Amino acid sequence: MSRLLWRSSRRYLRQHVWQAGLALLGVALGVAVVVAIDVANESARRAFVLATQSIVGRATHQIVGGPNGVSEEVYRRLRLTGKVRALAPVVESDVAATDYPGRIFHVLGVDAFAEAPFRPYLSSGGTAPDNDFLAFLTQPATGLIAADTARQLGLDIGDRLSIRVGTQHQFITLVGLLDPNDSSSASAVENLLITDIATAQEILGLGGQLSRIDVRVPEGEAGQKLLATIRQLLPAGVEVLSSRGRSQAIEQMTRAFQLNLTALSLLALIVGVFLIYNTMTFSVVQRRGLLGLLRIQGVTRREIFLLVLGEAVLIGGVGTVGGLGLGILLSQGLVQLVTRTITDLYFVLTVRELVLTPVVLGKGMVLGIGASLLAALRPAWEAATTPPRVTLQRSSLETRARQTAPRTMFLGLLVLAAGLGGLWISGTNLLLSFVSLFGVLLGCVLMTPLTTVGCIRLLQPVLSAWGGTLGRLCGRSVVATLSRTAVAIAALMVAVSVTVGVGIMVQSFRQTVVRWLESSLHADVYIAPPSLIARRSDSTLDPALVQRLASAPDIARVNTYRGLQVESRLGLTQLVALDLAERSYDAFTFIAGEPQAIWPTFQNEAAVIISEPYAYRHELSLNDTLQLRTDRGVHSFRVVGIFTDYGSDQGIVMMSRYTYDQWWQDTKISSLGVYAEPNVDVDRLVESLRRLAGAEHEVLIRSNRTLREASLKIFDRTFTITTVLHLLTTVVAFVGVLSALMALQLERARELGVLRATGCTPGQIWGLMTSQTGLMGLIAGLLAVPVGVGLALILVLVINRRSFGWTLQIEIAPEILVQAIGMAVVAALLAGLYPALRMARTSPALALREE
Amino acid sequence: MRRIVGILLLVAVLVGVGQWYLAGQASDYIAAEPRLSLSQALGGELAGFARADRPRVFRFPDDHGPHPAYRTEWWYYTGNLKSAAGRHFGFQLTFFRTALKAPTDRVGRTSAWGTQDVYMAHFALSDVAAQRFHAFQRLSRAALGLAGASAAPFRVWLEDWSVTGEMAAERPVSMQLSAEEQDVALDLRLRSEKPIVLHGRNGLSQKGAAAGQASYYYSLTRLRSDGVIRLGAEEFQVQGLSWMDREWSTSVLSEALQGWDWFAIQLTDGQELIVYQIRQQSGDIHPLSSGTLVAADGTSQALTSADFQIEVLRTWRSPADGTVYPAKWRLRIPGEAIELTITPYMADQEMHTLIRYWEGAVRAQGTAQGRSLAGDGYVELTGYGEKKAGSAVFGRMS
Repeated sequence: MSRLLWRSSRRYLRQHVWQAGLALLGVALGVAVVVAIDVANESARRAFVLATQSIVGRATHQIVGGPNGVSEEVYRRLRLTGKVRALAPVVESDVAATDYPGRIFHVLGVDAFAEAPFRPYLSSGGTAPDNDFLAFLTQPATGLIAADTARQLGLDIGDRLSIRVGTQHQFITLVGLLDPNDSSSASAVENLLITDIATAQEILGLGGQLSRIDVRVPEGEAGQKLLATIRQLLPAGVEVLSSRGRSQAIEQMTRAFQLNLTALSLLALIVGVFLIYNTMTFSVVQRRGLLGLLRIQGVTRREIFLLVLGEAVLIGGVGTVGGLGLGILLSQGLVQLVTRTITDLYFVLTVRELVLTPVVLGKGMVLGIGASLLAALRPAWEAATTPPRVTLQRSSLETRARQTAPRTMFLGLLVLAAGLGGLWISGTNLLLSFVSLFGVLLGCVLMTPLTTVGCIRLLQPVLSAWGGTLGRLCGRSVVATLSRTAVAIAALMVAVSVTVGVGIMVQSFRQTVVRWLESSLHADVYIAPPSLIARRSDSTLDPALVQRLASAPDIARVNTYRGLQVESRLGLTQLVALDLAERSYDAFTFIAGEPQAIWPTFQNEAAVIISEPYAYRHELSLNDTLQLRTDRGVHSFRVVGIFTDYGSDQGIVMMSRYTYDQWWQDTKISSLGVYAEPNVDVDRLVESLRRLAGAEHEVLIRSNRTLREASLKIFDRTFTITTVLHLLTTVVAFVGVLSALMALQLERARELGVLRATGCTPGQIWGLMTSQTGLMGLIAGLLAVPVGVGLALILVLVINRRSFGWTLQIEIAPEILVQAIGMAVVAALLAGLYPALRMARTSPALALREE
Repeated sequence: MRRIVGILLLVAVLVGVGQWYLAGQASDYIAAEPRLSLSQALGGELAGFARADRPRVFRFPDDHGPHPAYRTEWWYYTGNLKSAAGRHFGFQLTFFRTALKAPTDRVGRTSAWGTQDVYMAHFALSDVAAQRFHAFQRLSRAALGLAGASAAPFRVWLEDWSVTGEMAAERPVSMQLSAEEQDVALDLRLRSEKPIVLHGRNGLSQKGAAAGQASYYYSLTRLRSDGVIRLGAEEFQVQGLSWMDREWSTSVLSEALQGWDWFAIQLTDGQELIVYQIRQQSGDIHPLSSGTLVAADGTSQALTSADFQIEVLRTWRSPADGTVYPAKWRLRIPGEAIELTITPYMADQEMHTLIRYWEGAVRAQGTAQGRSLAGDGYVELTGYGEKKAGSAVFGRMS
């Protein structure tokens, strides 16, 4: 019996190869997007972990200081007075390899005599015979890179590697190559430029300073005792932190970003799942007669149920396997986008290889097949439970579909309410927020059938006025075949609404940023060193250069900025010290605090203003205090204002330079904002400042306009990945619509045959079919507008706020809505094209023969 | 020359920095075949260094301090100590300096970490009663005050291991030794009972046929010592005799060298004896092997290889890698009617450091001029075993 069943199933699939193929494609695309994002995220994460491991090595703790790092005096004191043995000094920084655009090396300056317990991978290989370690120790500006990297870049021992440190170009002579003999060590060193610690201090301009001191502390009581000894010897402003906590704090930064990507990729899969649902529902509807016959011949419900599920697993399985392959291909592009965005927003990251773990692939497999099964449950149930006698009458199904529409509507309302409730109660839980978002979407989907019926009723007068009998027929047949059309419309609606939602979100975000940039970029010219992390500046300007530029003619006033990361047990804080002209006050928009009250306090007291994301993340309000580790120890600062900022989702704390100088021993400046004298041509000022800077410094001197454009370019770049995902989801949706509507129309062969037989011309049939799919597209497009706007609201007001802590102004551009409806109609028309052509060509007699 | 270990340090640093293994396990380090030939390591870079190629006038206290014009240099302290209850301890505390660059090639560095010298130090304690041998090693650049040496005030140190002293022109008034690692600590005060002894020809100790294959070499052979040894929670007040060796040179070794046996014995009748023999790859003893006999009144007399014979009475196999070391000797100096049997206080005093060698406390018993007498001392053995630094650097052993 079961062989017969399978043969019938096989034959059915073979006869409906278009339908099955499109469903397969839908699943494959959905799975591909999910897998690609997963692989990209995982690769980025792994690259981060590997890079961290290679730099941190086996240090259990790290001693870190303020903007100037840790004085080397602290190291000597720990070793000599404290008799702490397991210590290693590190001087490090990211530098750009100027001859290889985009290539960033991590200068790791180490003391070879203290290294062995910390970074054993450095010793895990043979050393090339030509390595000149005497030169490494004694010759300035020498270093080692990995042998593999050298090969890639076409470098060899004795060659010079040109690097840019801050604004200045320097050359490092390669005196050796590291060739670790196991692959994990090899990837650990591939981005390192290892130098002697003296060399690192010299090339990075960090004389007397260490970036950090690595410590190895045993577990248990002895370790605690050692830590206590160390803490006693540390000056104020220097702290010992656990390595794990440190790297976790950094890794945490990208969590929300990566979760958002995953959620977006899941949207693509959901659209894909709709395809399966659609296909399976269809296949059941189309085979009702056959299934009824089988039942009458004694096939059990169980067997029918399993048959439908089996078909779903087959389509889902093949689609998933294809999706995995496609996803891996796709991930190669996506990983670059993800890495680029992480580097723009958070920290320097280089991903050289994709991480294809069994877990990632397994997850894709389970998601693809699981979702297919889930989608097939209802159709399978439907097929198995309907009494055989009823299944033989097709009309009963449609009657039932219309009858159940209100019930489905009610269920939809319930799910929608649950989703909204979920959003309400999920608080700051991002995962729950996303689940609720999906709930809202599902609720809307369930409401589609009845809404469709409503829409048709509303449109019916228009249709009959426009198309007469055929026009009426056009609308009625949509309602009459609701079991199939509703699913297709829902699939189309989901696809379009996701497009609308994400589109509005990105648009709102961009508009908000544009407006923010307009108001916050106030000075005429901005001067900054090239930064490796686009949205952050922690390199500094050469003091002599600052002096030279600030005293240039035609300058009315210079704002100075000093950006740095303050790290402590309290977390990682981006701090900016400002010396502002009074007219720059307008650059800030406060959402808490009165500007008249803020500025006098800000300039003179131990007060800070914080950005909205910082306030959100740290649950701070006006007049709260926040603690920062200063060079004089941990100190509390009062929050006197909260301002809007879209530059950093980690948030920023700002204080006046005056306050900063009270607490930090640091005279450096990261960037300058220059106000020109009245009537000075800004472009000419930029030119003359560039001439003043000279060729020895690579420094970015940009007019207000240029900086704004550059900022927007970076913004757009960080959103490329979102746009790509958006696009992919649209493609999946398009395939879905195509498959749903095409199946629908092909299935109507008999009905249309009757029409042809009763005198309809092929042109009329063509018109009927295209207008019918067009109508469905229109309905889906119209429904997608409110749903899409709703999604956008949730994305902007809930998801974005919870992920990144900022408030965006909603911007609903009419063209997005028009585009959405247009896309739905066009997709629908396209989908109707082929079946209509086929029908128009088929002779009515043939069509009437059915199958 | 007293200690081959110091010479090997340079090679060790050259290879070792490349291996990033300077503070790591010696065995792993030694296992890696050095890729520098001896001539590369000891030949090419010699230009610019001063050479021990003529007798010099020693000036104290200056000569207690470092001699940066020469490539290698060491301060070597060994001794035998007893607690009030009679528990016997041997100790070694040594500081080696090796120059990375000839003075003429040095480049000024702005970083305080910039270094021209590397220091290595060994600290060992032989706890005879417990049959425990504790040995430690440290390395550091001579920068940032982490390691270094100075003549006035006299100080040589590597982190918190140090020797400081009040040095008079002729004879040090006193020196303070201090070393601590894990749960082993040594704090000793040394006072010299005899004047400085210059070895070889007025302190020029010839090691090879060529000019410059020599070192400047002096010792303080009888240092009255008292202080404290700490082992875990236990503390011992100890007294005894220590020995200081000072040597600096640039190039002393010939390529045919296999290893080195060195004996320093402090006899109960007030004499001290030092002899060393250079073993060649051929198995022969190098004719320039020599020694010094110091009389009770501090006068000394040079011994040539013809003046003494050393006979191995027993051997010991290292449990670490099966290396066989001599472990008991008969030493004869016929011209002085001296015959001594020298026995290690403990068999296992093998240093598992960057360069593996045996350096341990020994007792001596025998006769001198017909009178029976005893003594304590230290013996150093290098160049034994297949993969010893000596063999790795100086060619294959048969």
